[in-house]
Amino acid sequence: MNTVISAWAAVSPFGIGRQVFQDGLLAGRPAAAGEPAGPDKAAFTVPDFDPRAVLGKKGTRSMDRVTALAAATVGELLATAPGLDAPAADDAPDPRRSVVLGTTTGSAQSMMDFTRSSLTEDKPFFVDPARFPNTVMNCAAGACAIRYQLKGPNATIGGGRTAGLLALNYARRLQLTGRAGSVLCGAAEEYSHARAWLGHHSRDTGEEAAVLGEGCAMMLIEPAGAGGPERPGLAEVLTVQMGVYADAEGIRPALADCVRRALATAEAAPGDLALVAPGEAAGVLGEQELAALDEVLAGAAPERVSCTELIGDTSAAAAAFQIVSVLVSAQHRPALAGRLALVTAVDRDGALGCALLRLLDGATA
Amino acid sequence: MSSIGIGVEEFRDGLRSGRSGVRPISLYDTTGFEYANGAEVVGFQPERHIRTLDPQRLGRATQFSVAAARMAVADAGLTAEALDAGRCLISVGTTDGESHDLDRLVETEVAEGPEHMDAITARRVPVGHLSTAVAREFELTRAEAVTVPTACAAGNYAIGYGLDAIRIGEADIALCGGADAVCRKTFTGFYRLGTIAPEKCQPFDADRKGILTGEGAGILVLESLESALARGARIYAEVLGYGLNCDAYHQVAPFGESVADCMRLALDDAGVKPEEVDFISAHGTGTKANDTTEVGAIRSVFGDAVPRTISMKSMLGHAMGAASALAAIGCALAIKEGFIPPTINHVQTDPECAVDCVPNEAVEADLRIVQNNGLAFGGNNAVVIFGSYQS
Repeated sequence: MNTVISAWAAVSPFGIGRQVFQDGLLAGRPAAAGEPAGPDKAAFTVPDFDPRAVLGKKGTRSMDRVTALAAATVGELLATAPGLDAPAADDAPDPRRSVVLGTTTGSAQSMMDFTRSSLTEDKPFFVDPARFPNTVMNCAAGACAIRYQLKGPNATIGGGRTAGLLALNYARRLQLTGRAGSVLCGAAEEYSHARAWLGHHSRDTGEEAAVLGEGCAMMLIEPAGAGGPERPGLAEVLTVQMGVYADAEGIRPALADCVRRALATAEAAPGDLALVAPGEAAGVLGEQELAALDEVLAGAAPERVSCTELIGDTSAAAAAFQIVSVLVSAQHRPALAGRLALVTAVDRDGALGCALLRLLDGATA
Repeated sequence: MSSIGIGVEEFRDGLRSGRSGVRPISLYDTTGFEYANGAEVVGFQPERHIRTLDPQRLGRATQFSVAAARMAVADAGLTAEALDAGRCLISVGTTDGESHDLDRLVETEVAEGPEHMDAITARRVPVGHLSTAVAREFELTRAEAVTVPTACAAGNYAIGYGLDAIRIGEADIALCGGADAVCRKTFTGFYRLGTIAPEKCQPFDADRKGILTGEGAGILVLESLESALARGARIYAEVLGYGLNCDAYHQVAPFGESVADCMRLALDDAGVKPEEVDFISAHGTGTKANDTTEVGAIRSVFGDAVPRTISMKSMLGHAMGAASALAAIGCALAIKEGFIPPTINHVQTDPECAVDCVPNEAVEADLRIVQNNGLAFGGNNAVVIFGSYQS
């Protein structure tokens, strides 16, 4: 069975929805600067993102930012994916919709705020019970399920910059095993005081500070053909290959091996690649990533797709944004139909990997 | 890695003898709480287990995860070289990851300001470490390391993911389970909800008063039957199947109909009929709401013939993301060694959740099929079915 991406949505520093992301990416113009927090000098945030204004008053009183970003993006996807509410064909697999959401640490802000209340209030248990669920990392995925009645498998995947790739593989396997019909798959990250400080302290001395960004990108993943003529499929997910490195010197060989495995699995050659979207992490991670790509793709010259400079380092959401950036870049380019796209990611905590996609008519039309 | 013992033998003996891992919490200051018992791992010396990595650079939950993986790989008779030779999936579930470290960073922030946070502690926080550190410990560069923070069902999620990767031929070996460390944040949250028991955890008891937060890690080694037979591995149990679904109902309260559906999904996936299940290792937290809802769901699946239904949390406390992984190991040991672990601290069964919970003392039993329930915040349900291996 083949798995395809058949629709997507984004809430990004460009604003809410697919159109503003497309317009911003194609124009190559950075999103408007947001308000930096803590030690940061700059930040990309989703402009004017007020959860209660975007999602309404119901169920949002105690909702934290990352949950609201995910809920808004899932809402956009369900509202804009063509024909999604049509009844599933009789021979379709289990039609219950599933959620797979990538994260770094859930909402570090929610977790730290809760502990801060315990430490600073008159009694250590004077905390707001309505905010307790926000401190558990699967809060956003569970909240999306409640809000949109998504009763299929509901998974949260932790992996920083590789989370989008790991989530995509999880979604792909849910389909290969018949555990889910359509899967709403993506990743979300919030910008916060807590994340700014944790990022600041996690950098090595002298290490370049990336401008942090936030947002959420979600894709509709389903079996090829399940979307019928209304959702013909934008890209086929050929394979996801992951690895782990011990230190910076290990990045290049481990990532090169992932890309070679991916190409071998798809029986493809570097020359079949039309697009490549690297993770572009700051500093040595990004440098080693490009070195690995140069090594494996020597001679081939796929067009590079970049979004980091435009929306910042969106951490857990980064790989999901890279994938949707590939889909945007393929639009109105029928010559790319059938060609391949490679998305790579390197996380500072040891994980790296790639996804190999085949661009379909639905994306290139 | 558990509050009742470290390693397979201590853990097994603890389950058989109905040992309690409960004691006053020591990992963080509990001044101001009226009561503060928990189920901590004691006597853990990370440097005895962790060889490649520097334990100081790993948070407590990651230390547990890596140490448990080391013990599991040794118990399986495998080596790092053998893991590296095949395709390895490492899936580790968790509720809180390194929230204990986040708690300590907040202590610093409150006392001295955020600019004084400890850098080594800050770097340990991202939850991906729980699985990538296992790969780094065994120096596996081609492993797929994935952390699954699906709260208190996370161990079962991770085991299910390992099963699927092997079933579809994308992994040869899966190291999977869950890990968590006790933390102020989660203790405080449950305390505020009124669901922390003052002294002991008494699942299914008329006088039950709630959970006791615990910690630990359980890692299982999964491989195909062909692989296990080819290398002459000791087989504890077969993973017959699992089920996953979501209540889509409430962030905190379980929803019985959906929990029942998840059990049916698991039994279907395993090709097992309800009457074939010999005992259920319940989620069994010991709160009023969980035990009543869960037993109601069990009744709706099993009818009048409810198998014996036990809660290892009576002994282990609620080890959060490690809970269903430790219980899965308990199920596998029960099958291999022919006993059903008890539900300790049991005085009088609540008619609202009346089950034979194997009160206080383990019983000998020839077991073929065992069901392990995991329910979580977010309505995340995961149920795994284990079977005895018959050659």
